[in-house]
Amino acid sequence: MELISKEFSKVEKKQKEVADSTVDNIEKMINEIQEAQKRLENDPENAGVALKELEQKFKELAAKSLESHKEFQKVIARYEKSVDKKWKNDITIASNPEVFANKEKVLNTTVALHFIREGRFELANRFIREAHLCIPDTIQTQFHEMYQILGAIKLEDLEPAIEWARLKSKELEKRGSTLEFELHRQRYVQLLIDRQEEALTYARRKFYLFRAHIQRLMCALAFKTRLSTSPYKDLLSPDLWIELQNKFMRDFCNLLGMSSESPLYISVTVGATALPTILKMATIMKEKKNEWSQQDELPVEVPLPDYMRYHSIFACPVSKEQSTEENPPMMLPCGHVICKESLNKLSRGNR
Amino acid sequence: MNKLNHNGLLVLEQPFIKVPLEQLKKTAKVSHKELDRELAKASLTVSELANRSNQEEIRVSDANFALEGMVGRLQSLKRKAILNDAKVEEAMYVSRSKQRLSHLNELTHIQSANSEEYTIWSKVRLDRILVDYMLREGFSETASHLANAESIEVEAFVDVELFSQARRVEQALQRFSCNEALRWCNDNKSNLRKMQSTFEFNLRLQEFIELIRAGKRGEAIIYAKKYLNSFQELHLKEIQRAMTLLAFQPGTKCLPYKKLYDKSRWDTLISQFRADNFALNSLTSQPLLTVTLQAGLSALKTPMCCQPDNRNINCPVCSPDTLGLLAQNLPLSHHVNSTIVCRLSGEIIDEDNPPMSLPNGYVYSLKALQEMYNKNGQIKCPRTDEVFEFSHLKKVYIS
Repeated sequence: MELISKEFSKVEKKQKEVADSTVDNIEKMINEIQEAQKRLENDPENAGVALKELEQKFKELAAKSLESHKEFQKVIARYEKSVDKKWKNDITIASNPEVFANKEKVLNTTVALHFIREGRFELANRFIREAHLCIPDTIQTQFHEMYQILGAIKLEDLEPAIEWARLKSKELEKRGSTLEFELHRQRYVQLLIDRQEEALTYARRKFYLFRAHIQRLMCALAFKTRLSTSPYKDLLSPDLWIELQNKFMRDFCNLLGMSSESPLYISVTVGATALPTILKMATIMKEKKNEWSQQDELPVEVPLPDYMRYHSIFACPVSKEQSTEENPPMMLPCGHVICKESLNKLSRGNR
Repeated sequence: MNKLNHNGLLVLEQPFIKVPLEQLKKTAKVSHKELDRELAKASLTVSELANRSNQEEIRVSDANFALEGMVGRLQSLKRKAILNDAKVEEAMYVSRSKQRLSHLNELTHIQSANSEEYTIWSKVRLDRILVDYMLREGFSETASHLANAESIEVEAFVDVELFSQARRVEQALQRFSCNEALRWCNDNKSNLRKMQSTFEFNLRLQEFIELIRAGKRGEAIIYAKKYLNSFQELHLKEIQRAMTLLAFQPGTKCLPYKKLYDKSRWDTLISQFRADNFALNSLTSQPLLTVTLQAGLSALKTPMCCQPDNRNINCPVCSPDTLGLLAQNLPLSHHVNSTIVCRLSGEIIDEDNPPMSLPNGYVYSLKALQEMYNKNGQIKCPRTDEVFEFSHLKKVYIS
């Protein structure tokens, strides 16, 4: 990238230079002509000499300005060379149009849902119209609600979120979510700062459900006049607000049966990371006249960050194969696990 | 794994940098040619004047008059050099390249994949990729809305006007008119020749066929003489076959000629135009959205994804109506090491949080089971609802 940036800055400089020098040269030409005109008028006898001189000068100037243009093109060519050096491969060998054939509608729906999830409703609707998609309104209404509540949290107004959590209390608890408590906690801290007398009443009213977590919060009351320098100052951290927003979004989506991050975003981000690996593989396979996308399983591992692993994978430490329904993992009495086929093979030798 | 591999991530960005570069090259060439032409013309006039006055064929007043005219022309050339479309475009492509390069440079300064900056950067990348997809699929309204309204930045990152030019040519072809396409061929003559494109020949051939279809055989022959002749060297066979078409009626059942009359040839022309136009401008032949999606879905896909029992709502491949459907024909990801994801907490199981097996064979993470035990005083398998004591758990070794 550094080389490219360096070559590019030359292009940028030259472009300005050429533009200026072209104008400059043309101005000079005009001056020369006007000069010659004067000479013709004042000294018609030597018109031939004057014109001859003009011809000479004119040619020089023309050559000069064309030369600078040519140099500009040369600089561009050098920049192009540095770019081509960086990007040699055609990335489309990593994509097979057959795989998504006749699935345009599915792909477009995925994109539209992505816009809705991100709260870009106007954009989503425009796209739904333009691509003639059919997406139930309920999804939009639901996400509308989510973004409204989220907007309120951002403005540090917790009421709508608390109300929502109260309505969904049972479902949230079933998922082991502590969102409702955290919302109340944040509200309590808010009161502790502004209206201390209400904080205690609020705590009495709301915290009986969450007895296990409230000791610290109640102790914070003792420092209500100087909370920011107390041992409880962590309760004031602005990060708690961000965390609350994220938690709310995650729980809201999960209760709708949807992932907390846009699946399209995850897939494309993983894809961008995986592309170099897949590209290398596709190039090798192409030489052997194989198409990577037609295989049952990729031949190499594409590393994923932890939070993007969603399913358990068991790879047998003996055979190095992934387990399947037919070849499930088996636990030995010692607690070690290998897959069934490996187990059979091992026991055959020892019987 | 959480460290970003910058060079790897940049692989995708070839068209991002190449497209404005290609256009810059083109405009620089055009403006050079124009200047060359104008100056050559002016030079010639001066030389002529000098010559004629030397041989005393011209009066001084006439020479003066001619010079006056030149001043006028040069002044307009100067105005052009400042205000000319090509110059403005040139400056635009330079600034566009600059913005794009600095966007990529931004990436090289982000270290961790978990950082807020990377998320923001990736979101912009996704928007870029989506605009590219929309433009290719012809959803121009959504595309321009996405490019303009959301973040001002994205506008310099996408090539809307390139596609709107292409759109005009495509629409003309849909109306069975080759004019726009032929003009495009003329504008890009030398590059198309370099690519050995057969597009222009196919356009000419189609116009010839349409003349015959309309019953204008005489005109067709004149047309062929005028335009098809120059393609003889490369396309003799096709020209011969096309000439035979003169003897067949549009309703013919004779296969090779029926094919020539087929209207679907126009669709082929459109797709050929697209392919050539993409190649000419260094755009990838497939939208980046499908390239990245195919790679990403395959890397995420596991045998568990399509099973309703093992569905994880956070997994993209597990959405049965959308991405799951798209991933259907893609290969599964490959793993040499086991990853066990706890079904209770969703966390990845490791040495600090080892897997524990219940007597019924199901495995969960120690932390999640402990939490459950502390809360309820017992352990209840979420899959079978069987209840166990904590002492029934057995540590599992998965290497």
